[in-house]
Amino acid sequence: MSKVLVVDDAIFMRQALKLILERNGFTVVGEAENGRIAIQKYKELTPDLVTMDITMPEVDGIEAVKAIKAINPGSRIVMISALGQESHIREAIMVGASGFIVKPFREENIVKALGKYKGEAG
Amino acid sequence: MASVLEDNFEIQNEDTQKGRFLTFTLGGEDYGIEIKYVTEIIGIQPITQVPELPDYLKGIINLRGKIIPVMDVRLRFRKEPLKYTDRTCIIVIDINDTSIGMIVDTVSEVVSIDDENIMLPPDAKTGFNNKYVKGIGKMGSEVKLLLDCGKIFSTDEEEMLSSLAQA
Amino acid sequence: MDFINTEPMQEMFVFETVQLIEELEQIILYSEKKNGLESSINDIFRIMHTLKGSSAMMSFSNISILAHSVEDIFYFLREKKPKTVDYLQLTDLMLKVIDFVGSEVGKIRNKEGADGDPSSISQTLADFLSQLKEGCPNTGEAGTGAVDKKHMGQAGEGHYSYKATITFEEDCQMENLRAFSVIHALQQVAGDIRHIPEDISDTENCNREIRESGLTVLFNCPLPEGEVRQLLEETMFLKELTLEYRSADAPGKGRAEAGVTGANEAGGANIPEAEEACKGQNCEDNTYSHDKMSNLSKQNFISVNIQKMNKLMDVVGELVISEAMVTQNPELKGLELEGFKKAARHLKKITGELQDIVMSMRMVPLSMTFQKMNRIVRDMSRKLEKEINFEIIGEETEVDKNIIEHISDPLIHLIRNAIDHGIEPAEERELKGKEATGKITLEAKHSGGDVWIILKDDGKGLDRDKIIQKATEGRLIQRPVSEMTDREIYSIILLPGFSTKEEVTEFSGRGVGMDVVLKDMDKVDGSVLIDSKPGSGTTISMKIPLTLAIMDGMTVSVGSATYTIPIASIRESLNITEDDVIKDPENNEMIMLRGLCHPIIRLHKLFNVVPGTDRLEEGILILVESENEGICIFVDKLIGEQQVVVKALPQYLKKVQGISGCTLLGDGSISLIIDIASLINNKR
Repeated sequence: MSKVLVVDDAIFMRQALKLILERNGFTVVGEAENGRIAIQKYKELTPDLVTMDITMPEVDGIEAVKAIKAINPGSRIVMISALGQESHIREAIMVGASGFIVKPFREENIVKALGKYKGEAG
Repeated sequence: MASVLEDNFEIQNEDTQKGRFLTFTLGGEDYGIEIKYVTEIIGIQPITQVPELPDYLKGIINLRGKIIPVMDVRLRFRKEPLKYTDRTCIIVIDINDTSIGMIVDTVSEVVSIDDENIMLPPDAKTGFNNKYVKGIGKMGSEVKLLLDCGKIFSTDEEEMLSSLAQA
Repeated sequence: MDFINTEPMQEMFVFETVQLIEELEQIILYSEKKNGLESSINDIFRIMHTLKGSSAMMSFSNISILAHSVEDIFYFLREKKPKTVDYLQLTDLMLKVIDFVGSEVGKIRNKEGADGDPSSISQTLADFLSQLKEGCPNTGEAGTGAVDKKHMGQAGEGHYSYKATITFEEDCQMENLRAFSVIHALQQVAGDIRHIPEDISDTENCNREIRESGLTVLFNCPLPEGEVRQLLEETMFLKELTLEYRSADAPGKGRAEAGVTGANEAGGANIPEAEEACKGQNCEDNTYSHDKMSNLSKQNFISVNIQKMNKLMDVVGELVISEAMVTQNPELKGLELEGFKKAARHLKKITGELQDIVMSMRMVPLSMTFQKMNRIVRDMSRKLEKEINFEIIGEETEVDKNIIEHISDPLIHLIRNAIDHGIEPAEERELKGKEATGKITLEAKHSGGDVWIILKDDGKGLDRDKIIQKATEGRLIQRPVSEMTDREIYSIILLPGFSTKEEVTEFSGRGVGMDVVLKDMDKVDGSVLIDSKPGSGTTISMKIPLTLAIMDGMTVSVGSATYTIPIASIRESLNITEDDVIKDPENNEMIMLRGLCHPIIRLHKLFNVVPGTDRLEEGILILVESENEGICIFVDKLIGEQQVVVKALPQYLKKVQGISGCTLLGDGSISLIIDIASLINNKR
């Protein structure tokens, strides 16, 4: 079972992701509403996968990816991003994000994108 | 407060409750109410009097933290009041999400009465003036007056006026 | 999207969106007042971005379209920092957006379709943006073409040459960036990378090309085929991968075959832009979030159905009673139970704490309600062209959730009224020697078991004579005017039917008059006092109980019955004799206390119960007060003071005069709570 940390400043988005992930065999071990908390929780929970929003208060998604990659270069971080954020996605990829999912997403999207990470590791 | 019928009084679904009545006595008469309204039966409790109520509403009781009004059915039917004893029971019924306690002399049993054994009450003109009775159930030689729960607890203007007129 | 249309997701959406737009409104009004909208661009951008995302997920396209338009504007403001921006107009536009979203969310909450048409606002926003762009000519979007060298071809000397073709899932979106991601991953291990299509910038053409024919990459890499395959298979939304091992050398050949050059340049073209954007986002000091207001909205909240809260409250109330029934059980009398007593004390402590926590959960600071008034003041002051200095004091004061709902509407009406009728136009104020800017103060404070909400203006004050005249015409006065206090006369303005037609302007709002104030105050057992001084202003004070659910009560007995009197209304208790009593010709009993004459109400007579005594010297008299009027209640004796959980009387019993509810005592018996205000009103 894959442990996932869901990072998004919108409760609604976290809830939606959590719902989808848990229905599809992932275990959401934690949620974070900004990058700072995400980094902290990453250390605590050592999830197999992180879903990361980009635009967030305090510490944004890009900074959080940098920090998490510094902690564990092998970490898997999937950006959750909206259309129109191309430059940010590019940057996230540059700093080590494994991929990205476009909001608004559908359940099948998520399953297709993340399915391969399920059941690997931990 | 041992309940008289607790043992054989179980929560039953709509279907099995159909045609089943809880019977109780007031003086010499046997009454029945549809079992589906009944939530429980308890012994007589300390009653807190509330000002400005009609005499048949005795006040309120504390039913495990829930405050419910209690009505003396004898007084509601304009019968002589009877002193409460340890045989006096409160039937707690639930109509439209409102719980109300009915104080009766004694609770008898749960009976099944088929539709064909239930007759309409005689016309009021013939002198039968209990408008709370919606049917008369026959059980062999016995007769049970089946109550219309909705009517007993209605307190609309008309009701008030007519009771004033008769008083 | 079935999962999204479930009730909890909708509730979540409504809850969060309401919070977001409230936060947005506060930010906008606050920054307009303080240091201008510029300081909050990041916050507003973030909120609109979140709103766009959530509403798009829920398929509320009208909201997401609007949010998108706003996002565009703030993106532009953030990135291009134009010099001249009409922030006043932008503020107006933003408030329109907030109102639109607010009303749509209202519809969603009521299970109606969110069918509002955003196109006119959307168009205005688009116009605004194009004006901005015109005024800011140096907005070339093109990247500079500079290449980030450090990510380039570290493995150019690669031993193996590969050709990989990758296709993505159809609905993966942003294919160019997926391609970018693949290339970026390869850059870590491979060199001499070329790809088709060559251009993977953000154009729809490019996306289509990749969607249709996939991405082909040629590269040199020291890794064996198996590892390269593994690496590429990590790609998200990968539909098909073909990996071809080509040769151990000859990178030039690959280059020639692919017929492309400068792949890295294309891939890296937008990097400087991206970095700049990020810099802007992180480094710009965020004035708003450093302010105290943000503390209120940044906390973690969950939304709980109020019915569940009420149920919890009831259950905890029952628990407290059951605890007393166990620990004070008469069967325990005379028993030496050291351990039991210790455990019982512990239980009592925990149940007490639990009760406090539940209570505190219901307490909500007034800040949200108060902050909303900023908007009312702003709108009114712009429309009536009256400058207003609006000050809020004590917004952190907490009130029970059930009560707070009844505060907003009265405040809106009172504030509108104050600005419309109270505050004079600037010229008139200057003539009177006042500051041209009017001042309105909204204050909340605790006092005993009550919360006072006080609205003060420095306007022209109420016209006593005019009120009397209008009230007489409207037959609103029952008593001779000479017997009425000024406060009573001023209170007439709150009566239904007082507002005359000339006053029903658009600001009276929602087709209701000031009587909504009294109606709402009635619902929460509150009262309103009005003081006014001609020429210098009006002060309206609303007194509201802290909570409706719990209160400090004095339990008293009358015969076998017990009653509870709210401590908050008790002034004193006294022992008297029959000689102290004055009787009027109708045999009404009264007593003089400190020069004031108070009627005596014998509770047993009022409630028609058999008393323990009817001799005044054997019982006790309690002086209670409400709205500055006092009466004395005669009872047998005081039993004790305790905190009680207030329960409503069963609905079936309807409203009983003089009784506001009931409560359960420690022994499980019921005590009726006396409604002091209604006793006093009855006596009048």
